[in-house]
Amino acid sequence: MPPTNLNDSDLDRLGLETPIGRIDRALKQLWEGDEAKTRASLINLAIYTEDGCQLVADNELLDHVAAQHACRALLILALPEAQPPRARAWIQALCRPYQGKQIVCSEQISFVLEGGDAAQVQNIVFAHLDSDLPLVVWWQADLTKNFEERLYSRIDTLIIDSARWEDPAKQFDALLAAMNAEGGDFDLRDLAWTRSHFMRTALAACFQDATACHNLSKLQTIRITHLKGQRTTALLLAAWINQRLKASLSVELIEKDSGPALQGLVLEGEGVRGEVRRDCDSCFVRVSSTCGESTREDLLPADKDSDAELVSELLSRFHGSTLYSSMLPFVRSMLK
Amino acid sequence: MPELENPFQETLLSRHRAEPCSVVIFGATGDLTHRKLIPAIYNIAAAGDLPPQFKVVGFARRDKTDEVFRKELEEGNRQNSRQGHNDELWKSFSQCIHYHRSEFEDLEGYKSLGKLLDQFDAERGAPANRLFYLAAAPEAFKPILEMIRAAGLNEGVKGKWARVVCEKPFGKDLATAQGLNAVVAATFAEKDTYRIDHYLGKETAQNIMVLRFANSIFEPNWNSRYIDHVQITCAENLGMEGGRGGYYDTAGALRDMVQNHLLQLVSLVAMEPPTDLSADSVRDEKVKVIRALRPLVGPEEVGKHVIRAQYTAGSVDGAPRVGYRQEDRVNPESQTEPYVALRLMIDTWRWQGVPFYIRVGKQLPKKATEISIHFKKPPQVPFATSTMLKNSENTLVIRIQPDEGIALRILCKQPGQAMSIQQVKMDFRYSSSFGKASPEAYERLLLDAMAGDATLFARRDEVENAWKFIDEIENAWHKSDTPPTMHEYPAGSWGPKEADDLLRADGREWRLL
Repeated sequence: MPPTNLNDSDLDRLGLETPIGRIDRALKQLWEGDEAKTRASLINLAIYTEDGCQLVADNELLDHVAAQHACRALLILALPEAQPPRARAWIQALCRPYQGKQIVCSEQISFVLEGGDAAQVQNIVFAHLDSDLPLVVWWQADLTKNFEERLYSRIDTLIIDSARWEDPAKQFDALLAAMNAEGGDFDLRDLAWTRSHFMRTALAACFQDATACHNLSKLQTIRITHLKGQRTTALLLAAWINQRLKASLSVELIEKDSGPALQGLVLEGEGVRGEVRRDCDSCFVRVSSTCGESTREDLLPADKDSDAELVSELLSRFHGSTLYSSMLPFVRSMLK
Repeated sequence: MPELENPFQETLLSRHRAEPCSVVIFGATGDLTHRKLIPAIYNIAAAGDLPPQFKVVGFARRDKTDEVFRKELEEGNRQNSRQGHNDELWKSFSQCIHYHRSEFEDLEGYKSLGKLLDQFDAERGAPANRLFYLAAAPEAFKPILEMIRAAGLNEGVKGKWARVVCEKPFGKDLATAQGLNAVVAATFAEKDTYRIDHYLGKETAQNIMVLRFANSIFEPNWNSRYIDHVQITCAENLGMEGGRGGYYDTAGALRDMVQNHLLQLVSLVAMEPPTDLSADSVRDEKVKVIRALRPLVGPEEVGKHVIRAQYTAGSVDGAPRVGYRQEDRVNPESQTEPYVALRLMIDTWRWQGVPFYIRVGKQLPKKATEISIHFKKPPQVPFATSTMLKNSENTLVIRIQPDEGIALRILCKQPGQAMSIQQVKMDFRYSSSFGKASPEAYERLLLDAMAGDATLFARRDEVENAWKFIDEIENAWHKSDTPPTMHEYPAGSWGPKEADDLLRADGREWRLL
């Protein structure tokens, strides 16, 4: 019987079902006899979820990301409560044409682990990595369960999306505890933070000229318009602004039912105003800054919002960021 | 008003960020501006990397309005932009483009340009940096630079900088390069002079230093003890299409390609590790290589180490091609070489006895620029006969264009009972591994010039030392009573037989591309 929330057509999309003990052989057979395909891999990219509803979306996401970042993709759905315990696996090649003829492919291995515990997850992940390549894990589940030291100490880059957390305060606590523990020196990436990158870049442009820059100390309020479910994304942005200004501007969050994750940002004070506005479906943001009588406007690129685009973008900027880590205490205090 | 740091700016970027800037392009109606410069700036804008309140001013002789100029550039951008053309972005971006009509020799035109730049500064509320891009014909460089100086535009305003970017060719021999450098030096300090060589903006060229100095498996072997020889090939499968013959016939392959692009590649391959990645540290090491090139003096020496040739009628990809002397705008009695092959020796401890073979030519079978490092064979391979090991040295190939990447050729045992050895290739392709397209060389170089990073630009002593080396060869060809022969090769072949003989005499052969 398929596990909860999964039907056969969802599982069919994962490729060829293969006994776990024969995965390596099956992968080898995948490439044999087709010399037109080139297997490429720069990283191990694993997605760990405990939500069966995510499986199809995550499968599509990996296909999208692998088109830009050649990888060994691992999709792991763990259902710790399911009984009886059972582990299944599927393999597939994620291919894209290259220069109109040759095909470049990444490998994907998907697992559905019913009744699995932390040890089982670790065994599965570590047994199927492409050796010597960095391990990037997007942990979509609760950090308080299977996320333990023996696993995260092997992770090079941990991806989270704090906007998805139902209890962000508890999850940030668990994250900070892991980061401060021995073995917690993984590089951390939060999609909620990546999601605001275009807003932060646009805000920097907004206050680039000397007059605007001189009026920063007059700013008093931050107003952020965000999509429902992106409150943490907005809070991260507000925390960053206050941290950069070394101030405590009052924060107002406005929630919308539709549109992009971040839709508007207004910083206001006496005689000074900076605004970044993203229209629905636009790949640009409109930036305007007003100091006294003078107003300046600009158009800047906006990053795409989808999870696949965000992960792809994040993998393109592989260099470490200490800024996010340094902001976590600010965010934690705002969540209290 | 004292300048303040923008607190939102820091920590966002992993590279130098350009401050507000006005770019003035001299020769703005030319092909380079339409095909390369404006599309490069547009793509920088599309990536969000353009400094805020950016302005670009086209400076040229023809009479036209901002609107007409923008429309012409829009057409060029549609055809040449790497990331395509977005009408919404162009509408916003094009507002930063302006046109300024003036003769290059008219001081009043430069004074009014100064007023226009001041007006931009007033709109910004603060002075901005100024970058003057010389995209005009080389003979116009001198009057342009003199007028910039006469109008006082070479001095930055209120602590801001003024810089000049010079397009190639930077002179046609040592004397003209020195003359040009003197004119530039009278107007701009060397630190504000950026001589562009677009080969250095290519991803793989930049990767040479990373490959050599960030990988411990290569650098210990990167010397005469382990390397047998180095080959650099720059092949073009085109001839003089599009009226290029007029310029090319006055230059030739040696001046047009070897003096700048290929000697830059030689210096990146052969340089010692720089002490740091500052522009001058890198260029200090590069210029040492150029200085250490063993001079080729006199027709006999040049004839022994350099092969020049012209193509005769033939075919490329099945299409018939005329001979070089029959090309449009080429002198029917031309003594200019569309092909040259050289054997270079670098007299340093590291490279003693290691020849660098370079070939560059037009109407060759394919378009490709590659560097190959040929390692020495092991002293003894007990389980192999000598015939098995023919042409089987380990080779590291750095592909500059197209299909940028790196390949390593190694030997492996062929499966089976017998001890047979076979060459296999490990291949890394940028486009397979990194799905994202690399930025165009001009995008990188323009941003570097705006941000003040001169690492990928040629310094005065690099240019002059390169010309010094090249001039000896040119003199042997054109000023001697017994010039070395101009050889021939059919269009579509890999060059003249004499170029093959150049390597054969050393017991080597050109790598098959």
